[in-house]
Amino acid sequence: MSTVPTGTGDASAHGVVPPPRASVPTDHVEVDAAGWPTGVPRAEPAGPVADVEQVPVRWDPAERRARASQSFWTAVVGVPAIFSVLRLGVEAGGELQTTLLLVANVGPVNLLAGFLTTAARLLSTGLVAVFALGAVLAVSVDRLPPGTLRRPLFARWADLTPAWVVVASFLLALLTWPLLYLPLLLPAFAAAFQLRPDRLHEWVVPRLLVIAALLAAYGWFLLPTLRDAAGQGELLVLALLVVPPVLALFIAGPLPDVVIRPLASLTEVAVLAMLVWAAVPVISTPVLPLTVTTVGAETGPTEDVRGHVVTTDDVNMVILQERGGVRYVPVDLVRAQVLCPTEEELPRHRLRIHDFHIEDSLLEGMGRRVRPVHRIDAACRAPG
Amino acid sequence: MNVRSSQSRLRAVATTLAVALTLTLAAAAGCDSRKEPDRQSVQEKMRESHIYGQSKLRIGVATDEPLMGDLRNGQHVGFDVEIGRYIAASLGYEGEQQLEFVSASTEDRIPYLQGGTVDLVVSSFSMTEERKKLVSFAGPYFVTTQEVMVPVRLKDKIRTLEDLRDPKYKVCTSGGSTTEGELEKRQVKALVVKNVWDCVAGIRAGRYDAVSSDETILAGFLATYPKEFEIVDLPFGTSELLGIGVPIGDPALRDLVAYFLQKSYQQGRDGQASPWLTAYNRTLGPWLRVEKNQPQPLEVPKLVDFDDKAPRR
Repeated sequence: MSTVPTGTGDASAHGVVPPPRASVPTDHVEVDAAGWPTGVPRAEPAGPVADVEQVPVRWDPAERRARASQSFWTAVVGVPAIFSVLRLGVEAGGELQTTLLLVANVGPVNLLAGFLTTAARLLSTGLVAVFALGAVLAVSVDRLPPGTLRRPLFARWADLTPAWVVVASFLLALLTWPLLYLPLLLPAFAAAFQLRPDRLHEWVVPRLLVIAALLAAYGWFLLPTLRDAAGQGELLVLALLVVPPVLALFIAGPLPDVVIRPLASLTEVAVLAMLVWAAVPVISTPVLPLTVTTVGAETGPTEDVRGHVVTTDDVNMVILQERGGVRYVPVDLVRAQVLCPTEEELPRHRLRIHDFHIEDSLLEGMGRRVRPVHRIDAACRAPG
Repeated sequence: MNVRSSQSRLRAVATTLAVALTLTLAAAAGCDSRKEPDRQSVQEKMRESHIYGQSKLRIGVATDEPLMGDLRNGQHVGFDVEIGRYIAASLGYEGEQQLEFVSASTEDRIPYLQGGTVDLVVSSFSMTEERKKLVSFAGPYFVTTQEVMVPVRLKDKIRTLEDLRDPKYKVCTSGGSTTEGELEKRQVKALVVKNVWDCVAGIRAGRYDAVSSDETILAGFLATYPKEFEIVDLPFGTSELLGIGVPIGDPALRDLVAYFLQKSYQQGRDGQASPWLTAYNRTLGPWLRVEKNQPQPLEVPKLVDFDDKAPRR
């Protein structure tokens, strides 16, 4: 046995990652029971060490970490890139030549920015789900005797991710999720950081008082919306607004052993399925804005062309028509052009939280405050 | 020890329940976000109406009612015309290329709608029970009352209903109007002519002394001859609801028109400049004795539109 631990050698097999090696001569060194040279100071962490450092591991942690980190970042960068290209094909109506026309005219930066605009919600949902589930699974697996269960994938991802990435994902979700779904972030946040109500106060009575006060404030803030929702019989909305804050109080903590194994594999499949299911509308959301272009000679009948403007040069305006096909309209014939909303943007609920529509995200809601009036142009009603 | 383990077991069960419920709610939220709206959208209603895909919208308007529907230098002007323009623009028809005003006299209004000559009629069309059997109405977009207009020379002499009953004054009104019946009910003898123009011309020629009709129509003549006439406020106590006529076979179009009237009503109520108020201020407003507001339209369907998310305040 070596007299000095190597950091990645045997010691890690016992579940302890030793502190960095001190520069001491290697020969004739007396070691203590843990194999540490006597007289060499141990580096003690200044604060509480993150879970990742104390986790019992069964193989080389550095390599494992590098591999998992690589796969994580490959997913984070690669998925948007692939999606961006895929959706060009969908937008082109499956036509090769049209796809090539789009590829030639839509720059990579525009493509990525367009993708992020429409997919930020999906992206943050995926990240929040992974981090919250990962933290729950991690804390549950930690309680099991080492070696009984391979650490679930999400738990490993959650271990590897720096706290700021997790916080950033939650912030992104906070800004991009519809207000209706924001309460779900509370249990997700409590789970991701394993926040228990004990943190509020060490005594039970003040703790209960603080919780009651927080819930009362939340209820008071949402009271008009809850009343409207009850009046309209929107039970799901009521549940989505009321239940999550209560769940946030109980969600932190280890799960029973019997639940962990099925939960780990089930949630992996579920999150994957959710991402695929939610990705379909993102892929089919257009990259280019929808416009209606009025075309016609100076005197004479006009025609409304509904579609996405791909590019405009000195001679032609190239319009990808909504009903399919590309149309080259001579620039001289363009009389007017208006921007139009699509039917996917129609709201499903008639509820507001302090004048913010519950299907708007915080960003959208604030945007509507900056440019409040949005009149639908007459041309947008024209059939496509 | 036992208490502790049962406590931790309880906590584990609570955590499991919380995780399970959160996942269920998240799944429900996911399904909800992909759901179709429960209510019909404006666009769907458009597809149901007979005007969908039509390149031009034809609206029947009056051409002989100053301030309401008038023809000036070949241009249709007036409150009804402006309301018609707003409805047409909301339906997707804007500009001369897409919108055609058809001159419709009082008796043409119903046959034009029935025969498909026009798609809508905005022409001081009172919503009455008999007419509702023949055409549909969206509205009301205006509530008018009966008034009496007298020449300036008689403005101090005719002040009450009692004065009107005096046989030395000749009161004129148009035939077939609701006014005729109303005067009869109040024992006012009236000379009935074809239309209000004849009464006004008669008064100017000295044949009659007063004319009774809708407040809006009289305001139009007052605007035409502001120095010659004055409107006398008499307590007739009846009101007429003016509506937009729609072919009876097209409930979708009726719903759309009612929806857009309601939208304007809502805007006005929120203190914004509504299309109705703009039309009113540009035409009738300065000539009416009492300031009017847009009446609330009846039987408005609940539809979804793109701007439903816009802030209300």
